[in-house]
Amino acid sequence: MTEPAFQAAYHSHKDVLYRFACRMTGSAAAAEDIAQDCFLALWRNPQTYDPSRGALRAFLLGMARNLVLKRWRTQRPHDPLEDESLICGPLDLEGEERAQTVARALHTLPPLQREAVILAEYEEMSLEEIASATECDLAAVKSRLHRGRQNLRRLLAPLLEVKGSTYGTK
Amino acid sequence: MEPNDDPQLRQLLREWQVPGAPPSLDAKVLGRRRSWWSFLLSGQIHVPVPVGFAVAAALVVMTAITVRDHRRLPAQPARPLFNLRDFQPVQNIQVRVIRSNYANE
Repeated sequence: MTEPAFQAAYHSHKDVLYRFACRMTGSAAAAEDIAQDCFLALWRNPQTYDPSRGALRAFLLGMARNLVLKRWRTQRPHDPLEDESLICGPLDLEGEERAQTVARALHTLPPLQREAVILAEYEEMSLEEIASATECDLAAVKSRLHRGRQNLRRLLAPLLEVKGSTYGTK
Repeated sequence: MEPNDDPQLRQLLREWQVPGAPPSLDAKVLGRRRSWWSFLLSGQIHVPVPVGFAVAAALVVMTAITVRDHRRLPAQPARPLFNLRDFQPVQNIQVRVIRSNYANE
Protein backbone atom coordinates (compact mmCIF):
# COMPACT_ATOMS: atom_id res chain seq x y z
CA MET A 1 0.00 0.00 0.00
CA THR A 2 1.40 3.36 -1.03
CA GLU A 3 1.70 6.31 1.33
CA PRO A 4 -1.04 8.37 -0.41
CA ALA A 5 -3.37 5.36 -0.50
CA PHE A 6 -2.84 4.75 3.19
CA GLN A 7 -3.39 8.40 4.05
CA ALA A 8 -6.60 8.43 2.03
CA ALA A 9 -7.82 5.26 3.76
CA TYR A 10 -6.92 6.69 7.15
CA HIS A 11 -8.72 9.98 6.63
CA SER A 12 -11.77 8.24 5.15
CA HIS A 13 -12.25 5.68 7.90
CA LYS A 14 -10.67 7.00 11.09
CA ASP A 15 -13.90 8.52 12.42
CA VAL A 16 -15.98 5.43 11.67
CA LEU A 17 -13.47 3.20 13.43
CA TYR A 18 -13.07 5.48 16.40
CA ARG A 19 -16.83 5.97 16.88
CA PHE A 20 -17.49 2.24 16.60
CA ALA A 21 -14.77 1.37 19.11
CA CYS A 22 -15.91 4.16 21.42
CA ARG A 23 -19.52 2.99 21.37
CA MET A 24 -18.49 -0.63 21.85
CA THR A 25 -16.04 -0.07 24.70
CA GLY A 26 -17.49 3.06 26.28
CA SER A 27 -13.96 4.43 26.58
CA ALA A 28 -12.34 7.15 24.45
CA ALA A 29 -8.84 5.99 25.37
CA ALA A 30 -9.59 2.38 24.45
CA ALA A 31 -11.20 3.52 21.20
CA GLU A 32 -8.10 5.51 20.28
CA ASP A 33 -5.84 2.54 21.01
CA ILE A 34 -8.03 0.22 18.95
CA ALA A 35 -8.22 2.61 15.98
CA GLN A 36 -4.46 3.09 16.12
CA ASP A 37 -3.81 -0.67 16.21
CA CYS A 38 -6.10 -1.23 13.23
CA PHE A 39 -4.41 1.36 11.03
CA LEU A 40 -0.90 0.33 11.99
CA ALA A 41 -1.78 -3.29 11.24
CA LEU A 42 -3.07 -2.23 7.82
CA TRP A 43 0.12 -0.28 7.17
CA ARG A 44 2.40 -3.13 8.22
CA ASN A 45 0.46 -5.90 6.50
CA PRO A 46 -1.58 -4.38 3.67
CA GLN A 47 -1.77 -7.75 1.94
CA THR A 48 -4.21 -8.94 4.62
CA TYR A 49 -6.87 -6.79 2.98
CA ASP A 50 -8.36 -8.47 -0.07
CA PRO A 51 -10.56 -6.00 -2.01
CA SER A 52 -12.43 -8.88 -3.64
CA ARG A 53 -13.82 -9.89 -0.24
CA GLY A 54 -15.45 -6.58 0.58
CA ALA A 55 -14.99 -2.91 1.26
CA LEU A 56 -12.08 -1.56 3.23
CA ARG A 57 -14.48 -0.08 5.78
CA ALA A 58 -15.92 -3.52 6.56
CA PHE A 59 -12.40 -4.96 6.78
CA LEU A 60 -11.24 -2.28 9.22
CA LEU A 61 -14.41 -2.55 11.28
CA GLY A 62 -13.88 -6.31 11.43
CA MET A 63 -10.38 -5.74 12.78
CA ALA A 64 -11.66 -3.22 15.32
CA ARG A 65 -14.41 -5.61 16.32
CA ASN A 66 -11.92 -8.41 16.94
CA LEU A 67 -9.83 -6.13 19.15
CA VAL A 68 -12.92 -5.01 21.07
CA LEU A 69 -13.99 -8.61 21.68
CA LYS A 70 -10.45 -9.53 22.69
CA ARG A 71 -10.57 -6.80 25.34
CA TRP A 72 -13.98 -7.96 26.44
CA ARG A 73 -12.75 -11.54 26.90
CA THR A 74 -9.74 -10.30 28.87
CA GLN A 75 -11.79 -8.05 31.12
CA ARG A 76 -14.79 -10.34 31.54
CA PRO A 77 -13.66 -13.90 30.87
CA HIS A 78 -16.83 -15.41 32.29
CA ASP A 79 -19.42 -13.23 30.56
CA PRO A 80 -20.92 -14.61 27.34
CA LEU A 81 -20.57 -12.64 24.11
CA GLU A 82 -24.05 -13.62 23.11
CA ASP A 83 -26.93 -14.28 25.45
CA GLU A 84 -30.05 -15.16 23.50
CA SER A 85 -32.12 -15.55 26.61
CA LEU A 86 -31.34 -12.10 27.92
CA ILE A 87 -34.47 -10.01 28.37
CA CYS A 88 -33.65 -6.57 29.65
CA GLY A 89 -35.85 -4.55 31.97
CA PRO A 90 -36.31 -0.78 31.83
CA LEU A 91 -33.45 1.38 33.07
CA ASP A 92 -33.65 3.65 36.07
CA LEU A 93 -33.40 7.14 34.59
CA GLU A 94 -33.23 9.26 37.68
CA GLY A 95 -30.86 12.20 37.25
CA GLU A 96 -29.53 11.07 33.89
CA GLU A 97 -29.57 12.70 30.49
CA ARG A 98 -31.21 10.94 27.58
CA ALA A 99 -27.94 10.45 25.69
CA GLN A 100 -26.33 8.91 28.78
CA THR A 101 -29.29 6.60 29.13
CA VAL A 102 -29.00 5.48 25.52
CA ALA A 103 -25.28 4.82 26.02
CA ARG A 104 -25.99 2.83 29.16
CA ALA A 105 -28.73 0.86 27.42
CA LEU A 106 -26.40 -0.08 24.58
CA HIS A 107 -23.75 -1.17 27.06
CA THR A 108 -26.25 -3.42 28.74
CA LEU A 109 -26.59 -5.44 25.54
CA PRO A 110 -24.33 -8.46 24.99
CA PRO A 111 -21.41 -7.48 22.69
CA LEU A 112 -22.65 -9.27 19.59
CA GLN A 113 -26.08 -7.63 19.77
CA ARG A 114 -24.44 -4.30 20.56
CA GLU A 115 -22.13 -4.37 17.55
CA ALA A 116 -25.00 -5.29 15.22
CA VAL A 117 -27.11 -2.40 16.50
CA ILE A 118 -24.22 0.08 16.37
CA LEU A 119 -23.24 -0.85 12.83
CA ALA A 120 -26.84 -0.76 11.60
CA GLU A 121 -28.18 2.26 13.46
CA TYR A 122 -25.18 4.54 13.69
CA GLU A 123 -22.99 3.56 10.75
CA GLU A 124 -25.99 2.71 8.55
CA MET A 125 -24.39 -0.44 7.22
CA SER A 126 -26.39 -3.01 5.27
CA LEU A 127 -26.93 -6.49 6.64
CA GLU A 128 -24.44 -7.82 4.09
CA GLU A 129 -21.82 -5.31 5.18
CA ILE A 130 -22.37 -6.16 8.84
CA ALA A 131 -22.08 -9.86 8.01
CA SER A 132 -18.82 -9.17 6.19
CA ALA A 133 -17.40 -7.08 9.04
CA THR A 134 -18.44 -9.51 11.75
CA GLU A 135 -17.61 -12.61 9.72
CA CYS A 136 -20.92 -14.32 10.29
CA ASP A 137 -23.91 -15.21 8.15
CA LEU A 138 -26.87 -12.99 7.34
CA ALA A 139 -29.31 -14.95 9.47
CA ALA A 140 -27.15 -14.45 12.56
CA VAL A 141 -26.89 -10.72 11.89
CA LYS A 142 -30.67 -10.42 11.46
CA SER A 143 -31.26 -12.35 14.64
CA ARG A 144 -28.78 -10.29 16.68
CA LEU A 145 -30.18 -7.05 15.33
CA HIS A 146 -33.73 -8.09 16.09
CA ARG A 147 -32.92 -9.18 19.64
CA GLY A 148 -30.80 -6.10 20.20
CA ARG A 149 -33.60 -3.76 19.15
CA GLN A 150 -36.12 -5.64 21.25
CA ASN A 151 -33.91 -5.35 24.30
CA LEU A 152 -33.32 -1.67 23.63
CA ARG A 153 -37.05 -1.05 23.44
CA ARG A 154 -37.45 -2.67 26.84
CA LEU A 155 -34.46 -0.87 28.33
CA LEU A 156 -35.51 2.51 26.99
CA ALA A 157 -39.22 2.03 27.53
CA PRO A 158 -39.41 4.96 29.96
CA LEU A 159 -38.14 7.27 27.22
CA LEU A 160 -40.32 5.89 24.47
CA GLU A 161 -44.00 6.52 24.08
CA VAL A 162 -45.84 3.47 25.30
CA LYS A 163 -47.63 1.58 22.55
CA GLY A 164 -49.84 -0.90 24.27
CA SER A 165 -49.17 -2.50 27.62
CA THR A 166 -45.56 -3.63 27.24
CA TYR A 167 -43.24 -1.75 24.92
CA GLY A 168 -41.19 -3.75 22.46
CA THR A 169 -43.08 -6.99 22.73
CA LYS A 170 -45.29 -6.54 19.69
CA MET B 1 -29.78 -2.09 6.17
CA GLU B 2 -32.67 -3.93 7.71
CA PRO B 3 -35.44 -1.38 8.08
CA ASN B 4 -35.96 -0.34 11.64
CA ASP B 5 -39.70 -0.46 12.05
CA ASP B 6 -39.50 1.80 15.06
CA PRO B 7 -38.58 5.37 14.08
CA GLN B 8 -39.00 6.46 17.67
CA LEU B 9 -36.31 4.06 18.81
CA ARG B 10 -34.04 5.16 15.98
CA GLN B 11 -34.52 8.80 16.87
CA LEU B 12 -33.78 8.09 20.51
CA LEU B 13 -30.63 6.12 19.66
CA ARG B 14 -29.38 9.04 17.56
CA GLU B 15 -29.38 11.22 20.66
CA TRP B 16 -26.17 9.51 21.75
CA GLN B 17 -23.58 11.18 19.56
CA VAL B 18 -19.90 10.33 19.69
CA PRO B 19 -17.33 12.79 18.31
CA GLY B 20 -14.93 11.79 15.56
CA ALA B 21 -11.37 10.67 16.09
CA PRO B 22 -9.28 13.10 18.16
CA PRO B 23 -6.28 14.88 16.58
CA SER B 24 -3.95 12.87 18.83
CA LEU B 25 -4.81 9.79 16.76
CA ASP B 26 -3.28 11.44 13.67
CA ALA B 27 0.05 11.79 15.44
CA LYS B 28 -0.12 8.24 16.75
CA VAL B 29 -0.92 6.66 13.39
CA LEU B 30 0.74 8.93 10.84
CA GLY B 31 3.72 9.71 13.08
CA ARG B 32 4.48 6.07 13.81
CA ARG B 33 5.11 5.10 10.21
CA ARG B 34 8.68 6.26 9.76
CA SER B 35 11.84 4.76 8.37
CA TRP B 36 14.23 2.67 10.46
CA TRP B 37 16.96 5.32 10.45
CA SER B 38 14.48 7.89 11.69
CA PHE B 39 13.46 5.47 14.42
CA LEU B 40 17.13 4.96 15.37
CA LEU B 41 17.58 8.71 15.70
CA SER B 42 14.45 9.65 17.55
CA GLY B 43 12.48 6.49 18.23
CA GLN B 44 11.09 5.44 21.57
CA ILE B 45 10.43 2.00 22.92
CA HIS B 46 8.15 1.06 25.76
CA VAL B 47 9.70 -1.26 28.29
CA PRO B 48 7.60 -2.95 30.96
CA VAL B 49 8.59 -1.82 34.46
CA PRO B 50 9.68 -5.30 35.68
CA VAL B 51 11.89 -5.74 32.62
CA GLY B 52 13.37 -2.27 33.10
CA PHE B 53 14.15 -3.03 36.74
CA ALA B 54 15.71 -6.38 35.84
CA VAL B 55 17.95 -4.79 33.19
CA ALA B 56 18.98 -1.97 35.55
CA ALA B 57 19.76 -4.45 38.35
CA ALA B 58 21.81 -6.62 35.98
CA LEU B 59 23.82 -3.56 34.88
CA VAL B 60 24.51 -2.56 38.48
CA VAL B 61 25.65 -6.08 39.42
CA MET B 62 27.88 -6.36 36.34
CA THR B 63 29.45 -2.97 37.06
CA ALA B 64 30.08 -3.92 40.70
CA ILE B 65 31.73 -7.22 39.70
CA THR B 66 33.93 -5.48 37.12
CA VAL B 67 35.05 -2.83 39.62
CA ARG B 68 35.75 -5.45 42.31
CA ASP B 69 37.82 -7.64 39.94
CA HIS B 70 39.75 -4.62 38.75
CA ARG B 71 40.66 -3.67 42.33
CA ARG B 72 41.78 -7.21 43.22
CA LEU B 73 44.55 -7.33 40.58
CA PRO B 74 47.87 -5.94 41.96
CA ALA B 75 49.37 -3.16 39.97
CA GLN B 76 52.39 -4.54 38.09
CA PRO B 77 55.12 -2.36 36.66
CA ALA B 78 55.23 -2.33 32.97
CA ARG B 79 58.40 -4.07 31.72
CA PRO B 80 59.52 -4.81 28.17
CA LEU B 81 59.49 -8.40 27.04
CA PHE B 82 63.02 -8.17 25.53
CA ASN B 83 65.82 -5.70 25.21
CA LEU B 84 67.25 -4.78 21.81
CA ARG B 85 70.51 -3.59 23.36
CA ASP B 86 71.79 -7.21 23.55
CA PHE B 87 71.07 -7.88 19.92
CA GLN B 88 74.19 -8.93 17.91
CA PRO B 89 74.34 -9.59 14.15
CA VAL B 90 75.50 -13.06 13.02
CA GLN B 91 79.25 -13.15 12.24
CA ASN B 92 79.60 -16.13 9.85
CA ILE B 93 76.85 -17.29 7.64
CA GLN B 94 77.20 -20.82 6.25
CA VAL B 95 74.74 -21.58 3.54
CA ARG B 96 73.74 -25.20 3.31
CA VAL B 97 71.67 -26.45 0.39
CA ILE B 98 69.42 -29.36 1.09
CA ARG B 99 68.02 -31.09 -1.88
CA SER B 100 64.73 -32.82 -1.82
CA ASN B 101 64.28 -36.46 -2.84
CA TYR B 102 62.38 -35.44 -5.93
CA ALA B 103 65.36 -33.58 -7.35
CA ASN B 104 67.47 -36.85 -7.48
CA GLU B 105 64.91 -38.81 -9.48
